[in-house]
Order: sequence, then C-alpha cells, then structure tokens
Amino acid sequence: MWKSILYKEWLKIRWFAFIYAALGILVVGNIFLKVQHDFEFSQAENYWYSILFQGNQFYEYSLFKFVPLLGALVIALAQYFPETVNKRIKLTFHLPLNENKALLAMMLFGAFCLLAIAAVLVVLFTGLSGMYFPSEIIQSALISVAPWFLCGFTVYFLTALIVLEPVWKYRFLYLLVAATLVPIYLQTAAARAYSPALPLLIVFTVLLSVALLFSGYRFRKGEM
Amino acid sequence: MVKISRYILVFTAIIGLSVVLPQFYRMAFEKPTKTPLIQYSCIDHDFMIFRPDADDKWTNREGTKLTREAYEKKLPLMYTRQLVMDGTMPDSINGQKINIQHTGIFRSIFRITPDEIHAPKPKLYPLFESKSGRANLEMPGDFFRITWRMEFIDAKSNKILEEKSRMFSAVLYNRGFKFPAKSINGIPTTRKSCDEGYLVIDSANQLFHVKMAKGVPFVRKVDLPGEMKFKTIQCVDFSDQLYYAYLFTENNELYVLTPYDYMLEKFEVDDINPDEYEIRIYGDYFNFNVITIGSGFIRTQVLNRDHNKVDEYTETRPTYQSSSEGKLAQFLFPAELKITDDKSSFVNFFLTVSQSYWWLIFSLVLIAGQYFIIRLQKKKSEPKLLT
Amino acid sequence: MNVIECKNLTHYYGKKLVYEKLSFNVKEGSILGLLGKNGTGKTTTINILNGFLHPQNGECLIYGENTQNLSPQNKARIGFLIEGHVQYAFMNIHQIEKFYSKFYPKWDNAPYWQLMSKLQVSPKQKIATMSCGQRSQVALGLILAQDPDLLILDDFSMGLDPGYRRLFIDYLREYAKEKNKTIFTTSHIIQDMERLIDDLLIMDFNRVLAQRDVKSFMQEFKQFYLELDDPSVDISNEDFVINSEKVSNKLELYTYESEDTILNFLKNNGIAHKNFRQVKMGLEDAFIGLTGKY
Repeated sequence: MWKSILYKEWLKIRWFAFIYAALGILVVGNIFLKVQHDFEFSQAENYWYSILFQGNQFYEYSLFKFVPLLGALVIALAQYFPETVNKRIKLTFHLPLNENKALLAMMLFGAFCLLAIAAVLVVLFTGLSGMYFPSEIIQSALISVAPWFLCGFTVYFLTALIVLEPVWKYRFLYLLVAATLVPIYLQTAAARAYSPALPLLIVFTVLLSVALLFSGYRFRKGEM
Repeated sequence: MVKISRYILVFTAIIGLSVVLPQFYRMAFEKPTKTPLIQYSCIDHDFMIFRPDADDKWTNREGTKLTREAYEKKLPLMYTRQLVMDGTMPDSINGQKINIQHTGIFRSIFRITPDEIHAPKPKLYPLFESKSGRANLEMPGDFFRITWRMEFIDAKSNKILEEKSRMFSAVLYNRGFKFPAKSINGIPTTRKSCDEGYLVIDSANQLFHVKMAKGVPFVRKVDLPGEMKFKTIQCVDFSDQLYYAYLFTENNELYVLTPYDYMLEKFEVDDINPDEYEIRIYGDYFNFNVITIGSGFIRTQVLNRDHNKVDEYTETRPTYQSSSEGKLAQFLFPAELKITDDKSSFVNFFLTVSQSYWWLIFSLVLIAGQYFIIRLQKKKSEPKLLT
Repeated sequence: MNVIECKNLTHYYGKKLVYEKLSFNVKEGSILGLLGKNGTGKTTTINILNGFLHPQNGECLIYGENTQNLSPQNKARIGFLIEGHVQYAFMNIHQIEKFYSKFYPKWDNAPYWQLMSKLQVSPKQKIATMSCGQRSQVALGLILAQDPDLLILDDFSMGLDPGYRRLFIDYLREYAKEKNKTIFTTSHIIQDMERLIDDLLIMDFNRVLAQRDVKSFMQEFKQFYLELDDPSVDISNEDFVINSEKVSNKLELYTYESEDTILNFLKNNGIAHKNFRQVKMGLEDAFIGLTGKY
C-alpha cells in the first residue's frame, strides 16, 4: 500500500527530479570548470590565498546558492499541485489509509528525493574539491553550502503547506511567513559563518516538515 | 500530529515576524549616531573632541569651542601635513625639537572590532621566508596547518610536503610545543614591510614565535607571567618596529610583545574588552590613545611612551535603546531576533528581549481587540434560521 | 441494517443555511438517489459522507463509524466517484490500475479491463488527454474493480453518452442487486434514476421535500390537469396542493391526494372546470412537479 503511494509520488515528480539533479550536476561541473581554469591562469597558491584570506567563495560561483531552492520548489509544485487540481487530494484521503500518514508518506518521499539529489551533488562537490583543495577549505565550503540545501528543504515543506491549503487568504498569509523565513537561510556571509546557526536551523527545518498536515486537516474540515 | 503542526506553524510565524518586524521598524526609523573623535593634545595636555553631528564640531574637554584651525594646531602630530602646509607646524613640542620625518615613524594606528574576533578564522596560513634577501615578500607555494604536527601542503599538487613538515614539527616539538595549536596569529599578506612569522598558542596555552629564516624553522617560546590566556593576539607591522603584537588577555588587559628578548609589557589601561568593544590604539611620538567604543560610551585612556596612564576621558553616547524610537520598539516588540549581529561575523540567532514590560500591555490590548472583533463578527453572522 | 445513518445534519456556508436537522438512512442493499436542484446541498451531503466537511451539527455514520474519522478498513469498503470523474490524470490506465490494486484486498481487475477494452485509448495515453467520456469509464471501472460494499457516486452520468448511460445503469443495478451492494448516488439526469434507484431523497433549499421509496412516491404523487372557467380562481395555497402551475385558465396541479379528494374539493368549493384528468408522470416530471420549474 505504502509502496503504491510512493509509486504515485514518483510518477508525478520523476522528470522534475531528474531535471533538478541534472541541473545541479551541471552547476557543480561548471564550478569546477571555473576552478580548473583559475588554477591554470592564476597560480594555485594565489587561488588558495584568495579563498583563505580574501573571502573568495569558489562555490558561490553561478547559481549554486539557489539551485537547491529552485529544485525543491519545482519538486514540491510537481508533487502537490496536481493534488489540488479538481481537489484530487480527496482521492488520496479516500484511500484506505490514515489521512495524516498518507500525507506524511508523500512528504517523506519528496524529502527523500531532495535528500538523495543533495547527497549526489554534495558527494560530487566534495570529490571534485578534493582534487584541488585541502580538507580545511572543503570543510568550510560544505558548512557554507549547508544552509542552502537546508533552505531547499524548508522551501519544499512550506510549498507543500501553501499549495495544499484550501483557502487563498491563508495561502497568502503562509506566503508572507515563508518570505520571512527563507532569507534566514540565504544571508550573504563569510565562509563557515553559518556554523553556529546550523544546529538550530536543522531542528527548525525538521519541525517544518509536518506543516502540511495542517493544510490537510483544514481541507478535510471543509474549509474553502 | 495535526495539533503539533498547528503549533509549529504558530511558532514559525513568531520566529519569522520577530526577525522581520523589528528589522523593518529599524530600517524605517533608526537614526544614525556618529561617534566623536577624541584625541589627546600633546600641546594642551587635554582632550580635543571632534563631534561630526554637533553644532560645535570642535571643542576641548570642557566644551570650549575651537575653530578647525585651532583644533588642528592642538594636534600637531595628527594633522602634521595640514600644519606644514599652513606653515604653522611648531618646531618643538614640550621642549623637544620636532623632526617631522622622525616623529612620523612613531605614528601607529590600530583598530579591532568584536566582529573581527568573533569570525570564522582560516585554518591554513602561508609561512613567508623572512630572510629572502629580497625587498618584497613572495607568496610561498604552500600553506601550513598545526594539528597533530605542523604540516605544509603544496597548493599546486594539494599534497603534504613531508620533509618540510617533519622538519618544522620536530623543531616545534623540541621547543616544548604541545600540539595542536589553539590559535595562529600573524599578518598573512605580502604587503607588509617584513615578515615576522606567527605567534602561536599551543594546546597548553604556551606562546611561541614561529617563522622561517632561509628555509629553516625559527621557533622561540615566549615566557608568559603566570597563567595568561588571550582573547586575541593581533600582530602589528608598525614603522617603529617596537612591537610584534598587541595581546588582549582574558581579564581585559592589554599587553605588547616587544622584540627585545620577547619582553611582554603591560599597557596601564583597564577594561579593554575586545569581545564587546571596538578598540582603537593610536600611537604617536609622545602618547598612546587607547580608545574603547562600546554601546553607549566612548572612552579614551592616554598613556605616555612608557605605557603609564596620563589621563582619561569618557563620554556617554545615545544608543538605539535609549532613543525614543528605540523605546517605542521596546513597547511594540517583546523581542528582537536577529540572525546577524554587529559584534559577530557569524550567522546565529541573536535574541534581544525587550527591557521594559510595556509590550505586555500592548499585546494584551491587541488580544482584547482581536477578541472583540471576533465576537462582533460572530454576532453579525449569527445565522438566521429559516422556519 | 443501515449502512449510512445521518442524524440531525445542520450546515451553513457563512450565513447561508444549507439544511437544518436533516436525517436519513440508507439500508444495506438499497439504492438511494439524492435529487435536488443546484445549490440545495447535494455536494455538501456527499462531502460530509466522505469526511471532507465538518457539519456544524449532527453526524453521519457509515458502517457505524463517524464519517469524519473513517478507519482504513471501512474506507476500503466504500467506492467513491468524485463529481466530474476526477482521477489521477497524470497516470495512464495501466499505472492507475497498478496503483489502486494494492489498496483493496478484494481487487478484481476483470471489470476494469473489460471496460478499458472498449475504449479507443493507447496503453500509454495519460488520462489527462482522454475525452470526458473515456475518463468517466476509467473512474467507474476502478470502482467496479475495487468491489466495494457501498458505492457513493456523485453525478455518475455526467459525460456519458445516452446509450451507454442506459447500459451502465442497467449494469449497475444488476450488479448491485446481485451482490447486495448499497449505492448512494446523485445525478443531474433524473430520467435515468428511475431505472436505478429504490429510494429517493429530494432536497430543496433549506429542507427535504421527499424521503421515501420510489415506487410508493410515484404511485402517490400525482399530477392533474384541468381548465378553469374562471381564470382568477387561485387554489395554490390549499393544503393538499404541493405545487401548481397556471397558464391563463390551464392549471397543472401536483398533490399526494386521490383524484376523488380533488374532485370533491372542486365541487364543494364551486369551482367550475372542464377537461379534468390525471397526467401520467415520469420521475423527472414528478421531480419538477415537486420542486417547481424555477
């Protein structure tokens, strides 16, 4: 039964998941194409120096900051928007499952896909970094990109909440809340600057994961 | 579960709004306050104060108004070029003949702010060749870390240089260095007059001077009086070459490390807390001005060249909290949540809870208002039953 | 045994009352048609039955469970056709069958594929690209494959060709009677309902007009035609008149009373008339007679 739910979710998001993964891989590739080029043209030690002491963030090159956000937004829309067309979510709620568990299964599957893609990108990023940089630089880069990936999850959870919400007025309110939260993850900051905030951000993001239950509840209560 | 999700939503909204609302309010209403410039006059032995946003911009400590020219004349070592241009530069001060070139050597400017201390620090540093025989410093091809040993990593190959690492580690070990390093302090740039390597604190809180001379490690342990811990060590590169570094201790004292047998000398100043205050140290031929700028005050302690206190002056400054718009903010918002802070370069959750309890009354008024609005709406929409 | 029990349902949308204290039951094995004009609360009732709406008051039980919290076991016994034959349009007919088959223990795909074989669709065609009629077949086929004990069909005839509609109704009735299924249905096309339903529930704005079995309703609810000599006579306010339509002197009268009672009334009140006769009605005529044309 649960496998079937995952099957349905997969049918909805598979192309978008592939596009996000491909886009992410292209962006990571692009970053290291630039790194490779800069290593050739300015000397390696100067490049390291610019990263260590001049705030050069090689990984911020191109859209890397916003790729997880966009990917999550696209996957969330692909997953939840079809459920709202003709109030199709009724079909899911009518399945012989607990409604909240069904929503949680949907959310967990989407989040898992995001996590899997993030893992692929991070492994690729770390692996390529390992060719050019020492562990200190890689570690600080990973800490710096972590909030961007967390932001992706937050955007995913909030989009689920907003799309499933049946009343436009509430959607707008949620959108305002989302607009106050998302920038928290995307502050322009020095490398590794996010390290003290990360534990709380992770807790916060995980908490948001169940937000969509409230929209589901409001739908079942008959709000419109 | 649904209940939890509802609480989480409310919590989320509170978090988001306590970030955004006070921030918008500040952007709309906060007014800038400019810090006055307080300098000690070697002529009058008095403080000269420049307040950029006051009517009387230039005054002395008593508030006697000065013209700009008169003000600058009281600070000949600061406005030397202007005075020379005007032809009003004195030949001697305090009975000492003044040679402009010579006094210029003793001029030093140092500044540190809390956000520089509370900042992510690099963990790799370049070790320059301090006796290259060249006029300019050159960027080495490798960077070092001090973990369980001192390791040099070649940038081009991203590989550890074993021989060099072993050589430096062995010397450090022999000098009693306890790995790993707690902090590595230096001036990692080629744009300095000469290289003096790094001042390194080891895991046993011992201070070492580490540099490279003709490819060979130079390591010297600095004797510290008693158990001394530092908030930060700031290496300096002043033209008088009298100091290696300013050292700020945990108990808010200020020391200088001199090249003369690594003597540590104390500045007779107090409450030098780089965690909280911006600290400026202006040195000239006669004095040091040690300025601390905190929230709501600016304080200048003046030392002579023997590091003994000559005079001091404190002025309170208006803060956002004491301003009327700041007070209104305390009334409106129970708390302000910021993710960045003036005193830190880190991103974190910085919570400032309102000092007054007026917000409680304001919130209660809002709740009551909401309650009546809901009741009014309910009454209005009380369905008329069709019978 | 009652499969559905709704007690004292009261619901408003904002200030607008939909109905007050509505109660009805659906017995096991019976087929109930919910009839009403648009806006009289048909969809509201369906939504309450499916747990997508909290009534302001009262409750609905299906198999003894409140519809707001149906257990998965009970949900598996209910086949639900959403108005407009809404289904997962991003799937094709194979994917959707595979999807649903895992949820229902009694899943039997034979009737589904039987229906699908008649559709001119390619195996990989998404439901979204199918015609309205084809989509309705998919939705109905899925419900039949589910083999539920209770079928809740919201406007099932929408988008069906007349011929197929007839065929489907006959099939559905056959199926329900043979397997002792309970059906709760609404439809815009009342003509068809006559062949299908055992009981009817006719709703008007804010109230229930009739709630009984179809046979007795069709027997007792009558239409009489007469031509008045004096067109100004108005008997529409009499107790026995359920509804009346008057065009000049031609009067259509709807009532539960017998022909004799009407004739006696006319005679006793000295209302001159001619051409008095009872008009034979179908369910649609009766529905219009009961609810009025407007």
